[in-house]
Amino acid sequence: MKEIVKDYIVEIIIGIIACILMIININKVYSGLIFALKMYFNLFLVIISIAFINGIISVFVPKNTISKILGNESGIKGIFFGSIFGTLMIGPAYVFYPLFSELVLKGASLGVIATTIFAWGIKLQWVPFGGAILGWKFIIFLNLLIFFFAIISGLIFNKIWDSHAST
Amino acid sequence: MESFLTGIILFILTASLMVYFTLKDRKNSKKVVKLSLKIFFKNSIRMFSIFIIIGILQSFLSKENVSHFLLRFSGIKGILTGIFFGGIMMGPVATGYPIAAYILKNGGSISLVSAFLTSWVFIGIISISMEFRFLGKRFALLRNLFSIITIILISIIMEIIL
Repeated sequence: MKEIVKDYIVEIIIGIIACILMIININKVYSGLIFALKMYFNLFLVIISIAFINGIISVFVPKNTISKILGNESGIKGIFFGSIFGTLMIGPAYVFYPLFSELVLKGASLGVIATTIFAWGIKLQWVPFGGAILGWKFIIFLNLLIFFFAIISGLIFNKIWDSHAST
Repeated sequence: MESFLTGIILFILTASLMVYFTLKDRKNSKKVVKLSLKIFFKNSIRMFSIFIIIGILQSFLSKENVSHFLLRFSGIKGILTGIFFGGIMMGPVATGYPIAAYILKNGGSISLVSAFLTSWVFIGIISISMEFRFLGKRFALLRNLFSIITIILISIIMEIIL
């Protein structure tokens, strides 16, 4: 019981907050629940696929394969790979956190993961919409800066963890 | 809709991998199925609770209120307020574009809008619990701190070049 509470503490807190808000405005909480259900079903295939990819990596992929492609030894190549992967991906990044966690356990560097999460901020599919209502100059410069800082973040994170590992 | 399409592509890819590994090694594939279902149920509970809080927050924070409130701030205060509200907002960033356009049209600064939109995609005050759990406290804290510094820099650069 203690372990379940410890493991799901955030979810329990969210449940308590939802109950308190229900007293304030039940209609808004109801529409929030409907939104959550829709979002879950919308992302259902992503969530189940991520779980199976986690399982496959955990059982079948040797540690040195991941560390060669995404580990510290991959250097700038790994960071570049992370930035392209993050740029091309669609949907919320946090749904992929369990997969990132498994990749780190298998030897991926935290720099590559940081770059991927930052590059996830580039929403290629929304660029035309953003360009139309905010101006092309604004949206292109903003995304270029995000891409640039995503790569810088990876290099800095790798340096931080390298120095941490060597101490 | 985009997330659903991503899901279909990922699902086809995962199913193909599962078929390949089952043909190659049936015994270990059974292990994968057991482990994956366990991961799936755990993740589902975690994701769903995050979705609930996003849904409730969205219905309490209207777009009009957020844009009216943000218009009161400029300069470094504008950037910091933009970071805070961008971090609270969840869902596709495209839903933030009309808010940003409204702020710009009504005299809001480029730096405020840049901070708001960049924070929306970099920082998730609500999803930070997931980051803590899966990637560790040290990584989550450092990444979010780095996000704040980066957002300030991006906002200042955007204000200068545009």
